[in-house]
Amino acid sequence: MNAVSRAMWNPIVAKEYRSRMRTWRSPLAMTIYIVLLGGLGWAVFSAMSNNGLGFGTSLSGSNYGQILFTFLILFQVALLAFITPALTAGAISGERERQTIDLLFVTRIPPFSIIWGKLLSSMSFVVLLLVLSIPIFSLVFLFGGIELDQMLYAFLVTGVTALTLGLLGIAFSTLFRRTLAATVASYGAAFVLVVGTPVYGLLFPTDVNPSATTLPAPPAITILSPVLPLLSIATNQSFQGYGVRYPNGGFAVSGPCVTQPGGGTLCSGGAVPGKGVPAYVTGSSSSGSAIASGLFSGWQYWQASVVMQLVVCAFALALSAYVLPPVRRLRLRRPPRPAVAE
Amino acid sequence: MIAVEALTKTYGTRTALDHVSFEVPEREIFGFVGPNGAGKTTTLRILAALLEPTGGKAFIGGADVTKDRDKVHSRIGYMPDFFGVYDQLTVGEYLDFYAACYQLPKQRRQKIVDDLLALIGLSERKGQLVDTLSRGLKQRACLARALVHDPAVLLLDEPASGLDPRARVEMREILKELRGMGKTIIISSHILPELTELCTMIGIIDHGRMRATGPVAEVIARLTTGRRLRIKVRGPKDEAVAILAPLPAIQNVEVTDAQIEAEFKGDETVVSEILLALTSAGVQVTSFSEIEGGLEDAFLKATSEEVG
Repeated sequence: MNAVSRAMWNPIVAKEYRSRMRTWRSPLAMTIYIVLLGGLGWAVFSAMSNNGLGFGTSLSGSNYGQILFTFLILFQVALLAFITPALTAGAISGERERQTIDLLFVTRIPPFSIIWGKLLSSMSFVVLLLVLSIPIFSLVFLFGGIELDQMLYAFLVTGVTALTLGLLGIAFSTLFRRTLAATVASYGAAFVLVVGTPVYGLLFPTDVNPSATTLPAPPAITILSPVLPLLSIATNQSFQGYGVRYPNGGFAVSGPCVTQPGGGTLCSGGAVPGKGVPAYVTGSSSSGSAIASGLFSGWQYWQASVVMQLVVCAFALALSAYVLPPVRRLRLRRPPRPAVAE
Repeated sequence: MIAVEALTKTYGTRTALDHVSFEVPEREIFGFVGPNGAGKTTTLRILAALLEPTGGKAFIGGADVTKDRDKVHSRIGYMPDFFGVYDQLTVGEYLDFYAACYQLPKQRRQKIVDDLLALIGLSERKGQLVDTLSRGLKQRACLARALVHDPAVLLLDEPASGLDPRARVEMREILKELRGMGKTIIISSHILPELTELCTMIGIIDHGRMRATGPVAEVIARLTTGRRLRIKVRGPKDEAVAILAPLPAIQNVEVTDAQIEAEFKGDETVVSEILLALTSAGVQVTSFSEIEGGLEDAFLKATSEEVG
């Protein structure tokens, strides 16, 4: 067995698979997941068919597909934001509560492999859920409007989001001795990541420079959330209207921008009525769902989001690996001086 | 095999271990005795390289517990004072999991697990979920887990805690068998009579300080000085006490509901003279025996005052 195989299939992974799949909880979780996702798909499709939810009457087949995909992929992220912390928040703290962690430390398995094994087994379950959802997502192709690459990008963003939430869960599980505290912290982090960062863009938008030649972009941190990238993938549009503030006090909160045939971008709406800020057409280099300016200028939203989330993953993994060992080789503080015998 | 030199561990201002030193030669069973909070578990955790000492050194088979952790882990089998079992795993899978964690080859693991289960008498429970075992059987499974990589040293923290008398006897027999197989064992326990029978060496620790250490008989002899007689008489005890108290060899007389305990100084002649004094005065003696000085006395003595 080579190093990669050993890492992928360490004893922790095998044990976790065995334990997890022996209970009724896993099949039940999978069933509920599919029922919820399928139920939402059916509800959205019914609403569109019956002209409900204000979809209007002039929807084409491709609109059906796009709308259905948007709802499904966002709902899938929301479901995973609930499931993933539950899978990982007790990974290490649970071992502590069961008092099995010391027994692992005295074996030859390194602490990093413990973290890696826990992560891998949790993420395998997430991947299983994603695979299970493929038949539901494939219904989108019946209507069109979504290409295969969009689907792949969306699943990539979803998977990386689950990985980030999983690693944050493990980091909190390593930091906190109690699973309850780790779970609360993990859900808090999931909320901040998925919902908090887009809200940040609304509360603290980027100030638009009147002399700038490029379209404004929302604060980079907002792209950490999978919501904007997934919307961008689903609609193939960017969001220059979101998260930017105009010099005269206009505050753009909505209005996706669409690529014009001539290569420019038209951002509809966005400005506050009566403030004199028009929707504008620009001939800048920005096109499609790319970010127009800022740290990730020229990047697709999903690319920026994946990179940012992977940075968070690396930080969470490093933190877990530092905190977990019972005796740390790298010290941040000077050890106390030995007591003097009386 | 095990050497501990001036081991010290402090938590803030609290000193858990204060320059603890002892040595355990190969193939010995070292009983580690002390009241709750004395520092037994802290010492064992340091020896298991799970805790870093504030000062001092400890070696397992020459490997420094603070520097050669991998070597130490390969040489020790650690059994803490809790079970540490997983639900949803059978006994066989539980042991196989730890064998895999010790990176034993897959082809060998099955045989190792079967041999261990035979050693601790759990072969017929191999397919049972480990979490559903009784306390005594769980303890045995945990001992098997500590043995899975065939370590030379066993660190057992309260292995008989909470076990019924039968399970204790079984555990004791297993430990004797392990000693016969060449293992060096450190065992912490509160059950002193059992340690007397099981251990070859003893260490008494209190408030983080090692009060006495050495071969069991030597420590007991060192710590217990006075001889005691247990006397049962028919009828009122006052008469017997009145005869015993003035005798020059008698140092102290205590009366309980069932018996009289008399502390004395002297040899066997003195013992016979005491008995003669009682019987010649017409006291009907029904039982007359000397109380053997034991580990319990030594422990009480050691933990009540400082002993060099």
